Amino acid sequence: MSGAVPVHDVVVIGGGPAGLAAALGARRAGAEDVLLIERDKRLGGILNQCIHDGFGLFLYNETISGPEYAERLAEEALRAGVRAETGAMVLDLAADRLLRVNARAGYRLLRARSVVLAMGCRERTREMIEIPGTRPAGIFTAGTAQALVNLQNIRVGNEAVILGSGDIGLIMARRLTFEGVAVRGVFELMPWTNGLERNVRQCLMDFGIPLALSSTVVEVRGRDRVESVVVAAVDGSLEPVPGTEREVRCDTLLLSVGLIPENELSKRAGVALSPLTGGAVVDETFMTSVDGIFSCGNVLQIHDVADFASHEGFAAGAAAARFARGELGGGPRVSLAPGREVRYVLPQLVRAGASGFGVNFRTVRPLGKCRVTVTGRRSGKVYVQRKFGRLLPSELQTVRVKPAVEEDLEVACHE
Amino acid sequence: MSERTDVDRLTCILCPVGCELEVRRTERGLDVKGHQCENGVGFATEEVLYPKRNLATSVPVKGSETRLVSVRLSDRVPRDMIFPILRVIAGLRPEAPVRRGQVLIADVLGTGVDVIATRTVE
Repeated sequence: MSGAVPVHDVVVIGGGPAGLAAALGARRAGAEDVLLIERDKRLGGILNQCIHDGFGLFLYNETISGPEYAERLAEEALRAGVRAETGAMVLDLAADRLLRVNARAGYRLLRARSVVLAMGCRERTREMIEIPGTRPAGIFTAGTAQALVNLQNIRVGNEAVILGSGDIGLIMARRLTFEGVAVRGVFELMPWTNGLERNVRQCLMDFGIPLALSSTVVEVRGRDRVESVVVAAVDGSLEPVPGTEREVRCDTLLLSVGLIPENELSKRAGVALSPLTGGAVVDETFMTSVDGIFSCGNVLQIHDVADFASHEGFAAGAAAARFARGELGGGPRVSLAPGREVRYVLPQLVRAGASGFGVNFRTVRPLGKCRVTVTGRRSGKVYVQRKFGRLLPSELQTVRVKPAVEEDLEVACHE
Repeated sequence: MSERTDVDRLTCILCPVGCELEVRRTERGLDVKGHQCENGVGFATEEVLYPKRNLATSVPVKGSETRLVSVRLSDRVPRDMIFPILRVIAGLRPEAPVRRGQVLIADVLGTGVDVIATRTVE
């Protein structure tokens, strides 16, 4: 390898709903040379296997399926002059924004004035939640089963139990029912569902699939193939209650037990991560702790709706374009912290003097009618106050801070 | 006939407020509670009396068992049409190339709704 390393204005890593939007956002904000790198042979990321409708309500004002959303957004990005390279994987990212890429034409180095991280997330596995029992075939994460059924025409089993009420699990309960698989039940550890209300209704209640809250799978049985699982109720500290065990016959167990932002590359670049979100610590421009590296979509925080991941992508891409032109400097930042009933807030940092930015948050537990406040920690000044009819941990919420901010802030809910 | 007062609890999904509705079937009709605007009554009435749904599945492209094209309905249909329509779609083997939005079955089972492709297969 010889010659100078080529320099791009903005390099986006990942071509899903966030990455496509980030690349498009960077072009719209005036970046000349925008390169999007996607590992798969097709753009769209996880949208390609999400064939159900419900996407696009915010971006396109109509409800469409994942593949349609992906194709439309990809077409827009390409038309706007984004260069997309599929079948290419970023092997390493350094803090000075040097990327090592394994592409169709071989290994190469490239440098970016700005990088946008949009690698998405991974599903938690059986090993991560440590379900005891045998290790037979027939245990899938819900997303893996979704890819097998929707993209490869493979029937995953005949009788299924689903652990976890995340949206992918709920969607798969309906999808398997359509394919003639009997879904014996959905078991959720928490006393509330983790999925969106509409999915509980349209994917479980429509088909009479039972949902058991405060319960979990305590054992997998079967030698070569899953033959049954043992389920049990859990107490207030989420421990199985002895004597409540019951065996449920099934040959398939799907896990929908949480998503984890995929930050291997971010770590290599030295990007600071938040233990609360599993994603990067960012400011209101979505810049991470490393200058010129931005983060958006599920690699930053787990979203419920693809449109919101794209929304974040547009903003991160636009900021990356500004940084590439030298228009986005550093400077002092104030912090934004979770208060009463709030599990996390994002961004975690805000440039001092910034105004008119959105703040995402999730609550610790379901809340009824409540007031959400953003308060100055020094002055006690209330920057935002907004009423909500109810707040669920499964729904990512946003409030807008309009006044300029010069002090550390706290977000809290008051029921 | 015994007095049957089914209570259905549902969350209105028309806007982000997400009112918790309580719908009671009475002899006089539906009694809706919990809505903060009048749209909630219409939503609850449709959802309880004649719910409509879309559906999505994938079908193999002709001549290949592994190349799939995903499909959905152009609009929602009454919920009890879902399985009859799925049975019709099961026999569908469209020929490549298929364009996104292409009508694969027009007016499926007389519902006035089309089965359309949701991705492009070259």
